[in-house]
Amino acid sequence: MIQPEELVGDEWAEWYRLTPVQRWLESEKLWQTYLALGGSLDPEPDTQSPFFDARAPRPRPAHGRSGVRILRRGRV
Amino acid sequence: MGGQACVFYGAAEFSRDTDFAILADAANLARLRKALADLRAETIAVPPFEPEYLRRGHAIHFRCQHPAALRMRVDIMSKMRGVDPFFKLWQRRTTLELPDGTKCDLLSLPDLVQAKKTQRDKDWPMIRRLVEANYFSKNSRPRAAQIKFWLMELRTPRLLAEVAQTHTGVARRLVAQRPLLEHGITGNLARLEIALTAEENKLRAQDKSYWKPLFEELERLRHPRKFDEKGKAE
Repeated sequence: MIQPEELVGDEWAEWYRLTPVQRWLESEKLWQTYLALGGSLDPEPDTQSPFFDARAPRPRPAHGRSGVRILRRGRV
Repeated sequence: MGGQACVFYGAAEFSRDTDFAILADAANLARLRKALADLRAETIAVPPFEPEYLRRGHAIHFRCQHPAALRMRVDIMSKMRGVDPFFKLWQRRTTLELPDGTKCDLLSLPDLVQAKKTQRDKDWPMIRRLVEANYFSKNSRPRAAQIKFWLMELRTPRLLAEVAQTHTGVARRLVAQRPLLEHGITGNLARLEIALTAEENKLRAQDKSYWKPLFEELERLRHPRKFDEKGKAE
């Protein structure tokens, strides 16, 4: 019998082992962190979607910057 | 029916829009309009919010302006390719109660998997995760419907071979519907992987064909002048 760890690694196996309601609540926590960090609710452009219109204007945040920005970048 | 349903069933998607499958009848659309008004949701792009577009398989897109959901995208659909009509989806739905007592109705897992069989790259790893999670959550005596679901929907070669070799009789009966099960029964993982990719490519091509006329209709709505001029030139 194949075990989830063999197939998808520990992190995914742990996620699979949560109950559906636990996963839902964990996802809510992630959302709260994302919003607390200033993340925007604007979805990423989905270029493969049939609904995607490359010429459509994209909304910009009121402060003119993206919700999260890089302040310092380490070198490779 | 989108990202949050995927999270519930075991995949992980950080989706920032909220997708709803709805019944496009007059009474329900009136309720929907009221809910959208509460969210101060405005239609964006095309098509307009009219039942005929929903019934033809288009999605209607909204952006919320309510401070509690500022800029959140809401997408509404009523008909999806390869997915049963709404009344059947509703009969099979999963209902979830949140800690605050709010109830959410989600597409059943098999219906969500069907809805995810699109032309987009990101949907295919999602299907794989959804079915894997369901498989690993099984108890020691799975129901016949579960075994059939795994045999028809698993996209992980090793797991598919495991199920096909454990339930060979059922797998043989389903070969006519999903020929790649033959490789699962014999345990030929290399062939199974190739066949799974071919199956995915075929379904993605079917989705593209399905959307072609709808996409052309969207383009006409987006750029009416361009199409008027083209018509005159012809």
